[in-house]
Amino acid sequence: MASDEVILETIDLDKSFGAVHAVRTVSWKVYAGRVNALVGDNGAGKSTLIKLISGALQPNGGGFRVRGQETRIGGPAGAFGLGIAAVYQDLALVENRDVVMNMFLGSELTRGPGQIFLDHKGMLRQAHQVLDDIHARIPNVREMVRNLSGGQRQAVAVGRALIRGGEIIIMDEPTAALGVEQTQEVLQLIDTLRAQGKTIILISHNIQQVFEIADFISVMFHGELLGTRSRDEATEAEVVAMIMGKRSP
Amino acid sequence: MLGRLAHGELAITGRRRERLLFLMDNGIYVVTVLLFIVFVFLAPYFFTPRNLVNILISASLAGIVTAGYTVAILAGQIDTSTQGVLAVATVTTALLFEELGFSLPMTVLFALLAGIAAGLFNGLIVVNGKIVAFVATLATQGVMLAIALFLSGGQTITIAREGLQEAVFIRVFGIPSSVWIMFFCYIVGYVLLTQTKLGAHIYATGADYRASLLSGVPVDRVIRIALVISALTAALTAVLVTARAKQSAMFGLAIAGSVDFVTALTAVLLGGFSLFGGVGRIERNLVAVMFLTILGNGLQLMNVPTGIILIVRGFALVLAVILSVLRARMT
Repeated sequence: MASDEVILETIDLDKSFGAVHAVRTVSWKVYAGRVNALVGDNGAGKSTLIKLISGALQPNGGGFRVRGQETRIGGPAGAFGLGIAAVYQDLALVENRDVVMNMFLGSELTRGPGQIFLDHKGMLRQAHQVLDDIHARIPNVREMVRNLSGGQRQAVAVGRALIRGGEIIIMDEPTAALGVEQTQEVLQLIDTLRAQGKTIILISHNIQQVFEIADFISVMFHGELLGTRSRDEATEAEVVAMIMGKRSP
Repeated sequence: MLGRLAHGELAITGRRRERLLFLMDNGIYVVTVLLFIVFVFLAPYFFTPRNLVNILISASLAGIVTAGYTVAILAGQIDTSTQGVLAVATVTTALLFEELGFSLPMTVLFALLAGIAAGLFNGLIVVNGKIVAFVATLATQGVMLAIALFLSGGQTITIAREGLQEAVFIRVFGIPSSVWIMFFCYIVGYVLLTQTKLGAHIYATGADYRASLLSGVPVDRVIRIALVISALTAALTAVLVTARAKQSAMFGLAIAGSVDFVTALTAVLLGGFSLFGGVGRIERNLVAVMFLTILGNGLQLMNVPTGIILIVRGFALVLAVILSVLRARMT
């Protein structure tokens, strides 16, 4: 664990919503090129922590260190600028648009005077390349997203994160709504991303799955970070106990 | 199987669904050609050069307002203020040209500026007031009609001065300029919607506001622009209607002619657009406008009473709404 490089670090991060103290002085290390799982019961503060990292929420206190530099994450655009891209649980895909337009939504390639025209060819080429890189099985990138399977959608959403220069990719319950086969597809996708040197932050409820894919497992309870274990030194029983609020010695 | 699921979605999936959607989307081409052929045989004087040009002129007026309307619908905004914008712009045109002696270009410029102002006003209420466009524009339409009524003093302004009608209906290659203007609007609309970043954002915002917002699309600006485009084409139509009639086309609170919100809505829905935004192709709307114009023209030539023609047009809208809802359930 000591030899691993920390790419992102939260420092005493704090967030309250009125009387609800959702995240309590959390100092969390995210390791580069690894799958960093974040587990915890409903309401443990996982989603809030993730939203703080992706710029969707602003903290009340504390800060971030990204690649060794202390920094603010001003908003989603600021997060993109730091190479942090979130894949939301509902994926935020537009059903009635095709794969290419979804992958480039909000960051379209343009050309011509004033950059007002779409570079359809360039987007098509780059979409193919990114999807090939993550071994996504999408036969036709002009297909409407509404006709894709759950696994394919996940690939499109991850593709979008990569196109935006995502180096740290946050995946929020990526397999929650998927069947067995599609879940395997998504786990392979995560594996591929790791093999390409990307850093993954994975939120999951599924302990078995976390042990299958993650390198590090961090547990939150009542807004606090109880600890981080490397997968090899932890046991499922220990992690489950932590999720229930038992601090390990 | 067209089995219906409990929550109202149609149980059609995969390739079968895509085939049916293709048919619903492109049926308008076939139906329009068939209707044309039927009238060639049934309606006297239908297939004469003079009548065909007439059809094109009528279609151009409805077509231009529908082009802008399409953009608003695509962005998910049902703009019901069309009549109000038409009223303000027709009164503006007549007042400036006839009573204040403005030059033709200045008259057109100010009429279009009035349209832009109306669109910005709509945008203000919809975006800043966070009110659904359908309701917001229904309200703003009332304001606009009242402003037009006030400006005109409740009177129809007749245009005696030469130059407006002549200029707007100059024939280029035997076809009146309003028809060329319509084609120009559709070409610009086509390029805007299929080839530009703004077009992609209009589709995305209409199809899924939240996903677009999360993806960094400037959704509020997109909605404002769509509403301005819609109002701008309504104002342009008003100039042409005023020029054609040689008077302000507002009688009391009613607007003359077939250029209205209902025609535009019928055309948009027949063209395979979703009432809920994000789906449709603008070129199909041009065909749908042709369909409605040919329908009215042919029935008139067959001496069908006006009441019956209105009923037929009413049913066209009902059919269009049914098609649109079916479509929405399938996607």
